[in-house]
Amino acid sequence: MTAAAGDPVCELLAQSLAVWRVAGGVERTSGGAILVRAGASEICIERAPKNLPFRWMVSVDGRKRGAISLLGVLRQVRAALDPGYAANRVRVAVSPLVPS
Amino acid sequence: MIPVAILTGFLGSGKTTLLRHLLRQPEFSRTAVLINEFGEIGLDHELVETSHDSFIELATGCLCCKIRNDLAQTLDDMLRRRDRGELPPFDRVVIETSGLADPAPILQTLMTDLKIAGRLVLGGVITTVDAVNGSDTLDREEISVKQVALADRLVLTKSDLANGAQPELLDRLAGLNPGAPVLRAHHGRVDPRRVFDSDVYDPCAKSLDAGAWLAEEAAQEHSHDRHDADVTTYALVREQPIRAVALTLFLEALAEHCGADLLRLKGIVKVAECPDRPAVLHGVQHVFHAPAWLERWPSEDRRSRIVFITRGIPRRWVEALLDVLDAEVAETQADARKF
Repeated sequence: MTAAAGDPVCELLAQSLAVWRVAGGVERTSGGAILVRAGASEICIERAPKNLPFRWMVSVDGRKRGAISLLGVLRQVRAALDPGYAANRVRVAVSPLVPS
Repeated sequence: MIPVAILTGFLGSGKTTLLRHLLRQPEFSRTAVLINEFGEIGLDHELVETSHDSFIELATGCLCCKIRNDLAQTLDDMLRRRDRGELPPFDRVVIETSGLADPAPILQTLMTDLKIAGRLVLGGVITTVDAVNGSDTLDREEISVKQVALADRLVLTKSDLANGAQPELLDRLAGLNPGAPVLRAHHGRVDPRRVFDSDVYDPCAKSLDAGAWLAEEAAQEHSHDRHDADVTTYALVREQPIRAVALTLFLEALAEHCGADLLRLKGIVKVAECPDRPAVLHGVQHVFHAPAWLERWPSEDRRSRIVFITRGIPRRWVEALLDVLDAEVAETQADARKF
C-alpha cells in the first residue's frame, strides 16, 4: 500500500512512517478519508465538519479526536503507532517568528 | 559577546598539535582554552604551551556525556573569574573536546544554557581529520562521521605525511559536509584567521556570513546522499516566502519527530510577514536557537535556503512537511478572512 501520487497529505503521512521507522501504508479512500495501516492498527483521518473548532478528525480504534492542524494529526498518528513516542515526546516552545 | 569555538576530531587526528600552534599566534593571545580529555588522567594540557595571556582549564571526562552538565558551570565560573580580575580578560574561548565526544550536546549546551546566555556565543565548530587515517576512521568510527558532519570548518592534518592529495578522502568529506571548507595543516600549522574567521552562530551578527555555511553546492536542488552511518545532507530552497506560523509549526515538527536524527539545521528564510529581513535559523537535534533577524539580505539571493544534515530523515518528508503546513496555514488564513 502506498500513498496516492500527487496527494501531499498522503505523501507526508507515508514519509512520516519511514521517519518513525514504522512499517505500514497510507491510502486515500473514495470518500476522501485517509487510511493509515500499520500492523494491526488502522487510523482514519478526515476533514472535520465545519461546525467544529478543528480541521481534522482522527479515529484510532473507534475513538475519534479532533486536531487543529496537521501537526496535531501527526502527533495522534504517531502516538497510536509508536509506543515509545508519547512517553518521550518533547514539547517545544518556539519563539515568536516575527522580528521585535 | 565572547565567541566560543569547538575544536573536535577523532582520537589522534591532530587537535592538540593544531591548538598548540594556534596559541602561539598573536591573534590568540587573549584566548581561554578548555581542554577535555577522555581518560583518568588528562595529559593534553601538559602538551600545550600557552602564551602569556592564554590559559588552560582542564576537565577530564567526556564532554558529551560524563561532564556535559558541568560545561556551562565551568564557563560561567570562568566568566566570573574574568570579571573579578582573577583571570586575564580573554576575548575568545576554545573548547578542545575529547576525540570520542559527540559535538551535538556540547553545541546544545552552548546554545541554550541560561547561565552563559548573553555572555558567550557559539563561534563555530572546527573538526580535524587525519589525512593518513581519516578514511579508515570514517569507516570504523561512527562518531567521527558526526564530528565531520557538524563542522563549520574541516582541517586536514598530517597531509605532509600522506601520499598524494587524498582525493577519495576529500570527496568523502565533501559528501558528508559540502558546506564546510577544508583547510590543510602542515605540521599543525594553518592560518588562524581561516580557522576562526567568522562567528556563524552569533544572533547579533550584522553581516552574517551566510554564504560560508550555505555553500552553493549545499544549496543545489539535489541531495548528497552518502552511506556513512546514514548521514545525508540536502538543502530546501524556496522562492516564495514562508508564512511565519507555518515556519513555526515546521520547526516544531522537526524537533518533535526527528530528535537525535536531525544532526544539524542551518538556514536563512524569507518570512512572508517580513520579507526584507531574513530570519537565520540554527538547530541541533531537538534544540533550536531563537531565530536571528538580519537587517537585510546578505546577498542578491533572496530565496529561503535551509540546509539539513540528518541521519536517515528522507528529504521527501522534509519537503512534504513544509509544503503541507504552509498550504494549511494559507487555507486557514483565507478562511479567517472570509469571516
